[in-house]
This record gives sequence, structure tokens and C-alpha cells, in this order.
Amino acid sequence: MAWEHREPEKLERRIRIERDGTVTALSGKIDFGQGIRTAFAQLVADELDVPIERVNVVLGDTAQVPFDFGTFGSHSVAQETPLLRKAAAFARRQLIERAGKRLGVSPDRLDTAEGTVTDGTRRVGYAELLDGTPLTGTVPDDVPLMPNARRHYSGKPMPRLEARDIVTGRATYVADVRLPGMLRGAIVRPPQRGAKVRSLDDSRVRDMPGVKVVRSGDVVGVVAEREEHARAAAGSVLVEWDAVPVEGPSTDVVMRDDTGVEAKLRQAAKTVDRTYVLPAIANAPIGPSAAVADVRADGATVYVGTHRPFGVREQIAKAIGIDERKVRVIPQITSGTYGRNTHGDAAIEAAILSKAAGRPVLLQWTREEEFVWSPSRPEAVLEVTAGLGANGRIAAWRYDEHTNVHAAAGLDPQVLGGTSGRNAIPPYAGFPAKVTLHIEQTRLRTANFRSLAAAENVFAIESFMDELAVVKKQDPLAFRLAHVDDPRLRNVIERVAERSGWGTPLGERRGRGLACTIYHGTYVGQVAEVALDASGRVSLRGFWCVVDPGETLNPDGVRNQIEGGIQQSASWTLLEELRHKDGRVMTTSWDQYPIATFRDAPRSLEVLVEGDASKEPTGVGEPGAVPVAAAIANAVYAACGARIRELPITAERIRKATS
Amino acid sequence: MKQTLTVNGERHEVDVAPSASLLSVLRDDLGLTGTRYGCGRGQCGACFVIAGGRVVASCLLTVDQAARQEITTVEGLANGAELSPLQRAFVEEDAMQCGYCTSGMLISATALLASDPAPDEDTIRDALAANLCRCGVYARVIRAVAKAARH
Repeated sequence: MAWEHREPEKLERRIRIERDGTVTALSGKIDFGQGIRTAFAQLVADELDVPIERVNVVLGDTAQVPFDFGTFGSHSVAQETPLLRKAAAFARRQLIERAGKRLGVSPDRLDTAEGTVTDGTRRVGYAELLDGTPLTGTVPDDVPLMPNARRHYSGKPMPRLEARDIVTGRATYVADVRLPGMLRGAIVRPPQRGAKVRSLDDSRVRDMPGVKVVRSGDVVGVVAEREEHARAAAGSVLVEWDAVPVEGPSTDVVMRDDTGVEAKLRQAAKTVDRTYVLPAIANAPIGPSAAVADVRADGATVYVGTHRPFGVREQIAKAIGIDERKVRVIPQITSGTYGRNTHGDAAIEAAILSKAAGRPVLLQWTREEEFVWSPSRPEAVLEVTAGLGANGRIAAWRYDEHTNVHAAAGLDPQVLGGTSGRNAIPPYAGFPAKVTLHIEQTRLRTANFRSLAAAENVFAIESFMDELAVVKKQDPLAFRLAHVDDPRLRNVIERVAERSGWGTPLGERRGRGLACTIYHGTYVGQVAEVALDASGRVSLRGFWCVVDPGETLNPDGVRNQIEGGIQQSASWTLLEELRHKDGRVMTTSWDQYPIATFRDAPRSLEVLVEGDASKEPTGVGEPGAVPVAAAIANAVYAACGARIRELPITAERIRKATS
Repeated sequence: MKQTLTVNGERHEVDVAPSASLLSVLRDDLGLTGTRYGCGRGQCGACFVIAGGRVVASCLLTVDQAARQEITTVEGLANGAELSPLQRAFVEEDAMQCGYCTSGMLISATALLASDPAPDEDTIRDALAANLCRCGVYARVIRAVAKAARH
């Protein structure tokens, strides 16, 4: 289905009233811990006027839900809110009309309350109004919505619906699915990605009881009754491989090309140019990839973690050679993967193993497989040049982003700028700019990763704004505000400065750094406060964030997402680098890839959600992560005068810069 | 080979090799999937259980080592339908996102509060330092543990 095409919304694909009076809401989006299940339940409960306990949200089951494009770009709440609201409101209207006929009363004299239609004295439950005829029809675009005053749940903090199952250990993650007769799988990995099987010798595993070796093209694996048997067997299958170089095409995308940039750069009173560098980093979910596949002669059912249930369905169907419509993909609650799961690797492999074994198969990747065989965020080099006018303002801007593709969509020209070039265009006004994205293929397999290229671009742009302020001997806050004409951006910057005590003195080797962004319509202002010890090691003393995501359904859910983005991005900034060589990732375990721990969490973390309620809700899963690296780098500069332009910001880099 | 295990106060007999990991026996033989696989090397904390009063990585403990100790998993923290104060505090503070690391954190925090009912913030950070979270909920977990300690 094309990106721009959307079929008319059918009520029966969104909302179902069940015979027991519960409501099922359907969405093709997936919850990885962003809390969208809870947000959707809140708005459906409000629009249909039912207690939230009676709302079940089904996400991503391809046998039940609409396509909905998949889950990325922090779009879910923004895209789905109007669709679910209108469908629920339409359902409520139909229920009122049916009740009118039943009670012999004009529908305009009826109202709803707690899952019933009432005329003030009599009440009819929604389930009674079904009479074996489900609610159907095309959802009108102009169906009237519930007035805000009558919404009980939206806009109020609310614990996640899955929370109880999570804290009791009962939540069923992908690897917790148990099917009768289920086997365990393991894959025999080649030395490099893309290698082809030259020869296969399974003589050492032929006598292992219950072990079967599977080969499908260049996928080689084993199945066995127990996980440890499968692992041992996989290690005993001898495969010779032929390496095949994996290289893709390179391309340039001009994202913005205002007239006069080169001339203004030549005429400027002063020009400043800088280069910023980011290493590859790993999505590194705590739970490695897993999938359960049950492939039978008449169809397949696959339990997965995925952002794109319909995309994975297509991949599975192709891999095992059956009709796509005979594959049912059922997403389970899953470890957060922050975009990695746009690739359905484990699901495809499990399906291949299950088809060959004739039984259900659980495939659990190891930690090493997760690091080495997963796609990751590619490295980036950002070159930026600005001309400064005599008035102290930016006169012209040239920006060149060099990176690999950042999205599963690959080189798709329709989306390249918006994904791999995300946020390369600065949010500032008053000068012409030329912005070019240079896609330069590396041999690293690349993934979508929380905020895609925005993290690298905003690191460069917001570090550079600080450097320009220093050159012009201006306060970084004032220098930014002089280039802001968007009132919502101005507001988050001013508010976060105020909250963080911007401008007040700090002790020796302490400093504050400011950074901001507009990410898919969400406005974020951040201030980091760091302290450096004698070795140059950075610790986060405080972190402040003001976010404006428009209308806010679940303020504490928003806060949790923004906090998580900040914490994860602080880890990228200070600690993370994925090593790879000749197309193979060299990092295999957590001790080689340290991430932030409890000891590294900021001493204080304040997130203020100040959404402009008159604006449509925008995403919050990613934007919190976006300005963090620059806020920290700017704070390090303020603390010790070391300008770190290459991540991660290690003690060694700081010592080198200050010596 | 038969092994006897005491998990959450119940005795179980399982027929596995003595070298099988406690983690695989919990998940695959006893159906206690709340204890999660994360790395197999004791580096992430997702598979933590309490064994003989101490927090251990169940991926590194063999079933015959575990057979001599009382084991508590995340499924053993609630009292029937009643959540423990820590579990309640995690829910109330929304101290989770994907929740994959939550079981291990609850185990570490339960052991902490058993030995130190009123830990300060640094003690909480140290006691949980071996539990990795990628979603970034550290601040909330610290708050939840402090809140449970006050009860």
C-alpha cells in the first residue's frame, strides 16, 4: 500500500462491541513500552462512555487490525487519536440510534452513561443493542466528538494497563509463548553478513537425539527439544562459507537550497566551520530478538516483536513460499528495541525452522547474536559552515551530512530526506541555508534507531550554535533566541532556561548546556548540568526538559517517555560506540558495550510537559533523546572549556582537549 | 537425571542434566517465564533470582547448585493477589516502560529492602547497579524503591 493512500475508515476494523459488553479497539500500531495501549484505551473509553476496565486494545494482530503503516517516527498517538476517536464516536451514535428504536424514543433525547444508553430512567447496555448485528459502516469524517468536559480519562495520569502483569512476571513476552510440541531453534551464523553456503557437514550432529539440521538457501539452523541441545548442535554443524561483499549505492539529496548561500558566505564578516563525528551505536535491547513460528500445511501463525506486523507478514510469506494471506502475525509485548524490530529477522528464521521441522519453533537469539547480527545506527560526519554578519547574526548556513541510510526503507527517495536526513534543516530563521544529505554506504547493516538521524544532526547544529555564540561573545541562550521566530520553540527555550537557573553561577568544573529541537511537531528545550572529576569523567548533576507535544492524553506517560529518551541518549553520548570491521560487528557482550547504569542516572531530572492544548497531539517517544548530546557537550564546554565534537564524550577526549 | 528444587516455597522435581542452568529450568520446565533471558553471562540482571537470600544470575547457576537453596523468583513476590509494597510502588510510579528488566529489578530491590529497610539514594543506586535498563527508567525506579521503603 502506498504511503499517501489511505482507505476509508471502516468502523468494524476499529471498534467492536463484544457480547459481554466489553469494547475491543483495534490498531496496527505496537506498544513497546511507549504506553500507547493505555493512551488508546483512555480515548476510546471516553468517546464511547465506558469504564476503561471494559476496553481491550488489540495491537498489530494481522488477522484483526488495520494496516496503519507500522510504528515509527513517534507518530502513533498523533495518527491514531483522530481515527479511534471518530470510530468510537460513530459507534456511540449508532448505539444511541439503536436504543432509540428499542425504547421508542427519539435519539436526541437519549444519552450514554457507563456503557449504557439511557433516557434518564431506563438503561440499555451496549451489548444488548447488538442483537447479533455488529456495528459497521464507513466512519464519517465529521462525526461529532465527546465534549472535553465529559472525558474522564484523557489528559489524566494513569498507570499502564500492562503494569500489573509486568510486576508479577505474568506478562507474556515473545520468548514466553509456549505452544504444544514446541521445539527450540538455533541458527548457524556465517563469518560475515551475506555469506553463501559452500558446503555443509552435519555428520557430528546426526547422532544427537532429537536434533534436526535445517537448510533453506543460505540460512542454516537446527531444531531440538531443548534450548541447550539446539545451541550445542548449532555449534557442531560445520559450514564452509563464501564471503560476498555487501555494498550498496551512494546518493546525494539536496534538502534545502536557498538562493545566495555561497555569495553570503563569501561576503560575511566572519565564517566559522566545524565538523562533528558520531560513531555507530547499537539499539541494544535488553531482551535479544526472539520469535515463535507455527507453520502448518494450511498456514502459519507467528508470534513476534515488530514495528511492522504487515511488513513482517510479507517477509515471512516470501521466505517460506506461502500466500501472505495465510500468514497470521501476532505481536507480543516485547523488550524495547527502539526501531530495531522494523527488521523481522528472528521471525523469518523461526518460520523457516518450523516449516522444516513440521512443529512450532521458538527461536531465541543470544546476546552475541543481538550485537553482531542486528542492524545498528550508522556513523555520521556532519560538516557545517556559517557566515556571521556584522550585526552578530547568522548570515548564511551550509550543512553537509554524511551517513548511511537510517531506515528499513533503504534508499527509497520518497523518505530518504525525512529519515536519514531527519532534522538536518535547522529550526532557526533569518538566513539562507543549503543542506545536503550524502548517503555513503558502509558495510554495517543499518537500522531505524530512536529519532533516526535527528540525534546526529541536532548534536551538530546545537553544538555549532553554541560555538557561534562563543565566537560572537554572546550568551548561548540569547544567541539562539535572536534566531527563533517560532513562538512555541521560543517558549520551551525560555522556560527551560528559567527552570534550570540559567545564568546563575556554578562551582568549579561545573557547567550548564542548552539545546533544543522541533521533532515531528514536538517542541523540546533542554538544559544539562554536568560536573567533571579530576580525570575528566562527566557526571550528570541535573537535567531539565520542557516539552510541548500539543494536546496531552496521559501527562505522566509523556513524562516517562521523555525521561527515558533523555536517559538513553545520555548513555549514547557518554559511553557508547559499536566497533565493526570489514562488515562484521566486533562487539559481542555488555562488558564491551557499557551502557548507563543506575549509578549514571542524573542526580535530578525534571521534565515539564507544557503542551499547547489547542494543537493536535504529537509524538513523545523519540524527541526527548534528540537534543541531549548537544546539551551535554555544551555543558562540558561551559565546565572546562573543552569543545568535544566527537562522541562519545569520554574522559580521555576531555583530557586531550584541555591539555 | 532427577533434580529437586524449591522455588517460591514449592518443591519441584525436574528431569534435566545437572549442568542445565537454573534459568532454563525455571522458564522451560517450571513455566516460570517471569525470569528473563538477557545475556547468559550475568551482565544484565534480567534473570536475577534470590537464592539462599542472595541475588544471583540464574543464567550462571546450574540446577544442581540451585537444588540446595531456597529460590525466589518474581512470581513469588506477591502474596496471592496482593502485590508487595515494591510491586505496588513500581505500578504507582510507572517505573517501567517495556518491562523486560523489571523482574530483575524487583528481585534486587526486594533483597535490598530485606537487608536495609531504609536505604538512602546512593545505596539504592548501588544495589541496583547490576540491573541494566535500556528504556531509561532509572529515576523512576529509584523513586519507587524509596517509596516502598517508607511503607
